[in-house]
Amino acid sequence: MIEDDEILQMYIEESLEHLSDIESDLLTIEGDGENIDIDIVNNVFRAAHSIKGGAGFMGLTTIKGLAHSLENVLDLIRNRELVPTPNRISVLLKGFDKLENLMNDIQASNDEDVSEYIEALANITTSSENGDEEQLEIEIKETEIIESEDITTDDESQSNNSFFLNITLADGRVFPAVSQYSVDQAKEDGRFIYLVEYDLIKDIHNKNKNPTEIFDSLEKTGAIIDSRIDFDSVGTLESNQLFSTIPFQMLFTSILEPDMTTTLFDLEEEYIHVISDDMLSISNETDEVSGMKAMPQKIVVATKPLDSAKITKHVVKSEPKIKAKIQPAPGKKSEPILESETMEHTNEIDNDSINSMNMSSKPMGSLRVNVNLLDTLMNLAGELVLSRNQLIQGINSSNAKATELSSQRIDMITSELQEAIMRTRMQPIANVFNKFTRVVRDLSQELGKSIDLIIEGKEVELDKTIIEAINDPLTHLVRNSVDHGIELPNVRESAGKKPTGKIVLKAFHDAGQVNIMISDDGKGLDPDKIATAAVKKGLMSEQQVSELSTKEKIDLILLPGFSTAERVTDVSGRGVGMDVVVTNLEKLGGIIEIESKTGKGTDIQIKLPLTLAIIPSQIISVGNEKYAIPQVNLDELLRIPASQVKDRIEKVGDADVVRLRGNLLPLLNLAQVLGIKKSFVHPENGLEYPDKRESIADRRSNRVDLNGNSESDNDSFKEDRTGQDRRYRAASAINIAVVSAGVHKYGLVVDELKDSEEIVVKPLGRHLKKCSGYAGATIMGDGKVALILDVSNLAQMAELTTMAEAERTAKAARAAEEARDKAKDKASLLLFKNGPEHCAAPLNLVERIERIPVSSIERVSGKKVVQYRGGALPLYELSQVANVSKLPETEQQEIIVFTVKGRELGLMVTPPVDAVEIALDIDDSTLKQIGINGSMIIDGHTTLLVDIFDIVKSLNPSWFEDEKLAAADMQESGQKVILFAEDSAFFRNQVKGFMTDEGYRVITAEDGEIAWNILKERHNEIDLVVTDLEMPNMDGFELTAKIKKDPALSHFNVIALTSLASDAHVKRGKEVGIDEYEIKLDRENLMKLIRRYLNM
Amino acid sequence: MASKIVKNTGTPLESNTELATFYVGKALCGIDILSIQEINKNFDVTTVPQAPDYVVGVLNLRGRIVTILDLGKKLGLSQIEKDKRNRNIIVRSQDEHIGLMVDAISDVVTAEKDRIEPAPSNISGLKGRFFKGVMKTKTSLIGILDIEEVLKD
Repeated sequence: MIEDDEILQMYIEESLEHLSDIESDLLTIEGDGENIDIDIVNNVFRAAHSIKGGAGFMGLTTIKGLAHSLENVLDLIRNRELVPTPNRISVLLKGFDKLENLMNDIQASNDEDVSEYIEALANITTSSENGDEEQLEIEIKETEIIESEDITTDDESQSNNSFFLNITLADGRVFPAVSQYSVDQAKEDGRFIYLVEYDLIKDIHNKNKNPTEIFDSLEKTGAIIDSRIDFDSVGTLESNQLFSTIPFQMLFTSILEPDMTTTLFDLEEEYIHVISDDMLSISNETDEVSGMKAMPQKIVVATKPLDSAKITKHVVKSEPKIKAKIQPAPGKKSEPILESETMEHTNEIDNDSINSMNMSSKPMGSLRVNVNLLDTLMNLAGELVLSRNQLIQGINSSNAKATELSSQRIDMITSELQEAIMRTRMQPIANVFNKFTRVVRDLSQELGKSIDLIIEGKEVELDKTIIEAINDPLTHLVRNSVDHGIELPNVRESAGKKPTGKIVLKAFHDAGQVNIMISDDGKGLDPDKIATAAVKKGLMSEQQVSELSTKEKIDLILLPGFSTAERVTDVSGRGVGMDVVVTNLEKLGGIIEIESKTGKGTDIQIKLPLTLAIIPSQIISVGNEKYAIPQVNLDELLRIPASQVKDRIEKVGDADVVRLRGNLLPLLNLAQVLGIKKSFVHPENGLEYPDKRESIADRRSNRVDLNGNSESDNDSFKEDRTGQDRRYRAASAINIAVVSAGVHKYGLVVDELKDSEEIVVKPLGRHLKKCSGYAGATIMGDGKVALILDVSNLAQMAELTTMAEAERTAKAARAAEEARDKAKDKASLLLFKNGPEHCAAPLNLVERIERIPVSSIERVSGKKVVQYRGGALPLYELSQVANVSKLPETEQQEIIVFTVKGRELGLMVTPPVDAVEIALDIDDSTLKQIGINGSMIIDGHTTLLVDIFDIVKSLNPSWFEDEKLAAADMQESGQKVILFAEDSAFFRNQVKGFMTDEGYRVITAEDGEIAWNILKERHNEIDLVVTDLEMPNMDGFELTAKIKKDPALSHFNVIALTSLASDAHVKRGKEVGIDEYEIKLDRENLMKLIRRYLNM
Repeated sequence: MASKIVKNTGTPLESNTELATFYVGKALCGIDILSIQEINKNFDVTTVPQAPDYVVGVLNLRGRIVTILDLGKKLGLSQIEKDKRNRNIIVRSQDEHIGLMVDAISDVVTAEKDRIEPAPSNISGLKGRFFKGVMKTKTSLIGILDIEEVLKD
């Protein structure tokens, strides 16, 4: 056996890595069934192959034998000669498991018996060769180290298969026990078979090569069937040429012709033998035993006396150091000898030291680190040394500047170093997750269940220690899900579920924690049964249980003691050792949450906290204390100046909300949640007073409370209220840290926002475990302790009081906001320019847009006209009525033709002319003047909304004489009253204007609800209802429906005003009883309608 | 701190334990000096809102977060009165350091086994379950505190 520890170690690590990949690949292969993905099979094949190759090189015969058998089966699968049935895959999996076993105890591997596995695998190969496709019942017992008698019997059974060949070379040397199958395969494919002899010393060691390199390069041109070290040719201890050569024989198949091989192998021709049929002979029983089985024994026999002799010698000399070096050599069998002899010779060596030596040969405990990362670490260490030197120099020479500079550098290097070191420890959770595919598969097969395992978030990285520690609890939970969660297929079907159950394993980052979810769609937990069981076990009294909520009942399974009795399978089964899971997770500072719906499934969420890390965080303060908010929870910082507090912070119900970019964000006052007595420093006298504001938005006013007393805190400071109000000082701005944790997103109101710092999380003592608002504590630069806030728990704590309210109201407010947005009138506008100004007019009033040559414009009696469609079209420009720029002189003139009072008129404008459909948000005060309704921002331009009626009215008052008369009439005959509901102030004023112009009295309402209330109270005076359709609180449809349903009001006619009347709208309107539709701002038609309905 | 050092003569611990004694309210209490990590008068604590009322706060003890308990409150008496003589006794318990704030530190005395009697149900207003026993001296009665019992939350 090769005793070079380093190479062996490398081999073991590599092999274990291969093995871990193999498992998931095999399961994929199984899942694919007949439609094998050749790449995956090749992956597994290659992995098995390199394990075999290495094993041959290391003299690990058992491993080699097993890997070889595995490879044979895989080859068949690869060539589609064998369908990877679950049974076959099981055999393969067990084989690979055994291989892993052997790897983990490499020293004893050669003494292990794997014949059962080899046999099972051989059965698969032979069954396929015989064309015998029937399923083989293959049972593999867990292996024990068996006695030598067993070996013979096993070998006998194995030899019956007789598919091993011996290769006899010309010089009489024999390469034993080559798989006949591989040879046949090679021959079939027309490949040449070479026996290549490398000398490990001359060809590999002396040429500075590495066996794996050779394997790799050879694999590119062919395949290695088998390899071994020809121990017989090594020479004996007696001969003088000890270790002059170590021939390493390799059976290689390739399509390359024999004349190319010297270059390929980089060897003299004499070491390359082309194998012909006559060199092959069927291996007989004894040969095989010598090849596959006897060899390890031989080695053991050979090494045993040697080792024990050495050990004895060293023990006598009491040189434990040297002994430790020898220790890896003997296998398990030699151990008793060592111990007994040790005892005889000396008392100094105790079992502990032996154990520790054994430990040292254990292959685990190392970690692969990216070389780049190591380089980074090295560089950083170098920089650190340099900076330290500078710092020392700076301090010695009292050079403040140099000291400061180097402290800055050290600061930088430290954080980089810290990050780099953290990175070396991070490992993807896939390392844990991947094995569950196998766990679920095996267990479900065993239990006769059909389960799909879905794994998400494999890439989530966790600290190595956590990865290692969550393995067991997770396995337990997954097993539980399979065992007790998912029902049998027939049960599932009768419950109306898919026969195949589903388990989802998911990892994700959230709220600064790594969350792991294990969800199944099984039968879930039955809280009542759990409660009963808990009572039965005496964990709780009947009384106590009856007071528990459903969730609390489910949580009972986490109680220690719940599971100690026999498995509670009648209670949905879970709970076996759940308390152990909880304890393990708690050690990591993690928590577990169970949610279960009877019949639907169970979700188990594990939250692993940030305690192992150094975390960046935002320092804030409330009262006199500083607190840290983990940066991961922090979305943004918000400072609301005192002057805006009133506008932006509102009180909805009991809760405060802040307006943030159009959304309402619930606010949480940290002082309130934590119950800190708020205080403020009086700006004038510097003394501290308790802050008595009840709500954040409270601004002082002489409110009178219920008892009729004026607020007391007002009295005490009244004198200070002269001059600038203290409330509007910079200090009274409100600081908000916008945080999010899980579903919660809220603003945390704090006194001060401080720096952002990297903090080291330290746990809080046990007396503070119940304070769930903290994730731990840290030590600040000044040496004081600051508590780290647990943002999600804070939200939960507050939920009992204000949070739920805040969220609910915020939601309601959001909904209202949305409704408001929706209700905001959309209108089609025609955009144009009047010289430099941007203008717009309602599109529905526009008849046409024309372009005419300026020369065709005539001046007739002071008015501009153009001949148009056989008539004279009067032309106006905006500057005639409104105070706007005059149009520039051009050759072509754009004209918008409007129809007003049945007559057409043209408005001269400047192009471009464009139509848009936008929500109207009109400022009807700033730029309002004659002919201009108001202004709004369209595409970033302040746009004047042109009032065509106003223009016409002021230019051609005669056109409106009819209305005047009608209005005057009405004044005499009794004014008609119109109830007009409209949420947009602009439209309300506009339309109201139209109506009053014509002599109607108008009662306006801001929304449907107000209109409804007015109508109920004053229906006697009202003659007609005109309503907008989209309004908050109660829309036009609802209002109409209510009116039409109320017997006292159903006689009212309802005219609906809309900006966009779609067919669906019209239909819905007709259903609820809307009498007529009209488009907003179509003044003429609206007035016509109103007149018609009022019988005028 | 007035303290009298009594040399350990090597007799078995049970019969000759050194007790650090201190006042909680009017009661003179003692704990095994070996369970004490240190005694300090660092009261630069950070208060922990929402903590149980007997928690004074948390303290940075050379990089370690130590919870300081008001021993008076913890034992069911009134709060320790702020005083120049106040001290924190830092004890180790279940792998963590916990500070006990006491009114004042008194002497270190040697507890002789035969002078220790079982605790009565009440010592100067303190519940008997907190005590391992009482020791009578010429001038006073020292309640020997059962630290684990006291620290139970």
